[in-house]
Amino acid sequence: MRALFLLLVAGYASGAAAALVLGTGALARWASALGAIAGASAGLALAAGACVWGAAFSLDAPDLLGVVGGMAFRLDALGAVFLALTSLVAAPSALYGAGYSRAWDGRPALRQVGFMLNAFLLTMSLVPLADGTLTFLLLWEGMSLSSYFLVMTDADKPEVVSAGQWYLAMTQMGFACLLGAFLLLQSGGPGSFADLRAAADALAPGTRDMVFALALIGFGSKAGLIPLHVWLPRAHPAAPSHVSALMSGAMIKMGIYGLLRVGLDLLGGGPAWWGGLVLALGAVSALLGVLYALMEHDLKSLLAYHSVENIGLITIGMGAGLLFASLEMPAAAALALVAALYHTVNHAVFKGLLFLGAGAVLHATGTRDMNRMGGLIRGMPWTAALFLVGSVAISGLPPLNGFVSEWLLFQSLLPGIGAPSPLVAVLMVLALGMLALTAGLCAACFVKAFGITFLAIPRSPEAEHAHEAAWSMRAGMVVLAGACVVLSVGAFKIVPRLTEVVAPLVGLPVPAPSFSVGWALQTPGGFARMSPTLVAAGLGLVVLAAWLAVKTFASRRPLRVGETWGCGRVVQTPRMEYTATAFAEPLRRIFAAFYRPSEDVSIDFHPDSRYFVQSISYHSAIVPWFERYLYAPVIARVRRWSERVLALQSGSAHAYLTYLVAALVLLLGWLVVTGQR
Amino acid sequence: MSPHLVSQLSVGGATLVLLAGLMMLWRRGVEAHIKAFTAQSVALAATTAMVGWFAGDWQLWAVAALLLLIKGIGIPILLQRMARRFGTERELEPYVNTATSLLVGGLLVLLAYVVTKPLVSVSQLPTRTGMPLAMGLVFVSLFVIISRKKALTQVLGFLMLENGIALLAVLGAHGIPIIVEIGVFLDVLLGFIVMQVFVYQIHETFESIDVEQLNRLRE
Amino acid sequence: MSPWLLGPVQASVALLLAPGLVGAVRWMKARLQNRRGSPPWQPYLELRKLFAKEVVVSNNASWLFRAAPFIVFGSTVAVTLLVPLLAVPLPFDGAGDLVVVVYLLLLGTFFLALAGLDPGSSFGGMGASREMTVAALAEPTMALAIFALAWGAGSTNLGQIAFRTLATPSEALAPGHLLAFAAIFVVTLAETGRLPVDNPATHLELTMIHEAMVLEYSGRYLALLEWAAALKLLIFFTLLGNLFVPWGVAVTLTPGALLWAVFTLALKLGALGGAVALVETHIAKLRLFRVPELLSASFILALLAVTASFLL
Repeated sequence: MRALFLLLVAGYASGAAAALVLGTGALARWASALGAIAGASAGLALAAGACVWGAAFSLDAPDLLGVVGGMAFRLDALGAVFLALTSLVAAPSALYGAGYSRAWDGRPALRQVGFMLNAFLLTMSLVPLADGTLTFLLLWEGMSLSSYFLVMTDADKPEVVSAGQWYLAMTQMGFACLLGAFLLLQSGGPGSFADLRAAADALAPGTRDMVFALALIGFGSKAGLIPLHVWLPRAHPAAPSHVSALMSGAMIKMGIYGLLRVGLDLLGGGPAWWGGLVLALGAVSALLGVLYALMEHDLKSLLAYHSVENIGLITIGMGAGLLFASLEMPAAAALALVAALYHTVNHAVFKGLLFLGAGAVLHATGTRDMNRMGGLIRGMPWTAALFLVGSVAISGLPPLNGFVSEWLLFQSLLPGIGAPSPLVAVLMVLALGMLALTAGLCAACFVKAFGITFLAIPRSPEAEHAHEAAWSMRAGMVVLAGACVVLSVGAFKIVPRLTEVVAPLVGLPVPAPSFSVGWALQTPGGFARMSPTLVAAGLGLVVLAAWLAVKTFASRRPLRVGETWGCGRVVQTPRMEYTATAFAEPLRRIFAAFYRPSEDVSIDFHPDSRYFVQSISYHSAIVPWFERYLYAPVIARVRRWSERVLALQSGSAHAYLTYLVAALVLLLGWLVVTGQR
Repeated sequence: MSPHLVSQLSVGGATLVLLAGLMMLWRRGVEAHIKAFTAQSVALAATTAMVGWFAGDWQLWAVAALLLLIKGIGIPILLQRMARRFGTERELEPYVNTATSLLVGGLLVLLAYVVTKPLVSVSQLPTRTGMPLAMGLVFVSLFVIISRKKALTQVLGFLMLENGIALLAVLGAHGIPIIVEIGVFLDVLLGFIVMQVFVYQIHETFESIDVEQLNRLRE
Repeated sequence: MSPWLLGPVQASVALLLAPGLVGAVRWMKARLQNRRGSPPWQPYLELRKLFAKEVVVSNNASWLFRAAPFIVFGSTVAVTLLVPLLAVPLPFDGAGDLVVVVYLLLLGTFFLALAGLDPGSSFGGMGASREMTVAALAEPTMALAIFALAWGAGSTNLGQIAFRTLATPSEALAPGHLLAFAAIFVVTLAETGRLPVDNPATHLELTMIHEAMVLEYSGRYLALLEWAAALKLLIFFTLLGNLFVPWGVAVTLTPGALLWAVFTLALKLGALGGAVALVETHIAKLRLFRVPELLSASFILALLAVTASFLL
């Protein structure tokens, strides 16, 4: 295991070094990608070792950064799951990036991308292994900073710079909260996680609540929970596509990991309101995320808002787990956490796939605007098919993996209705309704995303001349699509492993009750049984049988290709087909009270007569609630304070020297005063 | 009549009463509102009669008959007369749109369920199972009063509130003494007549029964 | 008879009865409107005609257009294997429960909507957009109604639910059950494209939802889609009939019991079809933006069903 760990570090380090040293051509691209792939494979093997074969791994390095106490690493089952999903998304993304980064060939940005990507992957892979406060915080900050540089790759565009600013501000705010949380948790003692776990019981309830609240803010902002999600729809579209895939697929999951680690593992669970708050936040994030996603017609912003939605779903499971654990229902808590973890892995895989697909589209057409795409299925058949797989998976439709975790999430909420407190029952019913609505709206949104982008007639010359993605990009996507299928069909093997991961966190007796029996998944008490394997097999068989039956028995007349009928219209032009905005219009109207769109119609009349119209221009915008009512006032206030502080910066060298001398005098005076006591 | 059957019938009766109340949130025309109120009063009378039969209490039968006469027949006739005069004004844009009103109504029912849990767990009567729904009706009628703009709808909301309280009394305590019941009926009737006078006056002054118009009195 | 044979038998019975059901509803509607109407077996003749006809495909359409009918048809037939159509100890009961049924139907809707967008005509786009809106808004009602049923029966697996109702007949008239029935009835109207949500007989494009998505299809593809739509109606009616009024469903797999099950199923389908025909004749089609109000009302019904089933 130690060898695998060293290989992980060495792989990423060599990839980073190669990017710096080997120039700005294909060699550098491929060398850094291969280093990343090596590191990711080692990570996957390491995680498999810990999860599947139960091999333990720990490493204490007190000499590394010894001036601050050294670093410590330990791999347990929970960390292994997150390491596995990071590596699972990292390898295909790195492979994809090898072809995708050709856009920066010959420019220094290529060095930055290669180096920072490997640094990002290294720090992110090591976060789940951190076994001490300092190690954790250092790696966390490293992850944030390297991703910031990756977001700023195309720094010549103003919206990228703005996105980077928002991102940096939010991560630093989160980091400050995390610092506070860990400081409170340590309360002056040593910083290894084992010690923290032992000392947590002795903390006062008020302190524990404070730690949890700070951790929720800090980790929640990294995960993208509402209302701390505002950086997501800005940073993800601005970053290069394989970086977006990694950020959405792996980095935001580190927020989930942090909450699980601090909330369940270190603090050992808490009062019911913790779980209730997390559950409520998750339900709201899921619904609001998908509502905002519906209105987007920038493909990557749409995917970013869907990440907010899916984090909401994962958080629903996590909140339910925390809630049930505090209500002494360990089996129900275990099921909820298994659902959350499964969805975490699934989302990493299919969101990675979708972002890589969006990147291929961006690469081919040069635009992210769905209203300028269309008909790409002809020029990019592979990308289209793989994006379709991702769309079906994220909509939670059988037979793919999204459906399995949605089913588990549904079933995990049902036991809550039997809980003694009526408030919990009401919360569960509301969460169930919001979960169902979110699932339906997600399917609607992906019909739009896939249909408008890939189907029908091209809406612009760029879409007409789109070319298929490079083989490395396609290979990365194929790996992730394959993972989607495996994660669905192999559910009956994966769920028991996840139950073992979760059992110590909720106090389930060992051997833990298995949530799978034979080929099927089963919930506690035999409440429900379902077999994704059989559903997938059955579906495939029936479709095949139908196709064969039609082929044999129906007419043998050949297919004729003609113009679209369209109720007798003679010619079909791109102007006649539905646009992304049009597709989402009914939902925009239905939820108008929520969106509050602003509408502006201006009509240009003919100068000679008011009965003839020259042009009509329609402009509509939706400003998200939180930006208008939460962030804008806060930012305005901070700006006003900064302007007042600006008064100190007078620009005069004399003033600055005076400040220095005054500070020195004060310090000496204070030393004298305290020395005399 | 077994207690289990009585429980089921209480919930059934209370559900019908509550559904009639939710109709007020869904449908927009005055005719539909009056029909909903009539149906609600009939359902309430039937539930009261059922509880009277189970408890063997003749007073509840008398109350049921009174309910049917006054609220099931009498008041609707008066309401029809008012509707003929001002009924052409449909509740076109309430403060909260229909779908949201329905969802808020649902949330209020859930709230009522949480609020009455202590009452339900203390009571021993088999009819206690319908109490949360009666409470839900009380909340929903309050919501109707505050979210609708036409005076006629607000009057109907008040009458529904009365129904809800009566249902709560019947299910929670097998009714209240008949003297008190008759007193309450007279109160309601009087209150209704007073409200009628007010609605006529509002119409005379503003040519419409939109309660928002009362703001103009400030100037 | 071997229990595994039940699956294909159920699927065949469903496939055979579905067009007849649609024909019966159409005939009843016609009679209620004082017309003679086409005979109830008309859809069978239509299917036979369509399978023999030539297929014309739009030049803007892709492979998805040609694959979608099979996926829609296949997913709907797969659902018939999971619902308690004829017998209650279902062989595939452990493979899928009510949640799986709902999502398999959503899979069909997903691909049908994509197929509507593929030829690039505005009608297809409009149909797809409206269909996904209605499907999304009907989901919360289905989730809560499933939950109300499951809580009472102690399981979300369909065979179990039917079994539990058979075992305790007095529960069939419980308020929770009745409310859930009403909620699922409204969802049936919405999902199968019946008035007042969508008009299955319309030729006015602006009032279409389902018809708009299949506008470009012809020949055997159209036959598959029409058959799948009929099957969807049959599935919803089976859920309404055999989950709420399960008497007549076979508990043992003898030919006698199964024939009786087919007979009672036909009776229930007829009764429900009559109810739908009555509703369609009585109510006019709702404007698209009044449909969310209808679906909110059904959501409230499902919510009341949930609270009623754990009030008792």
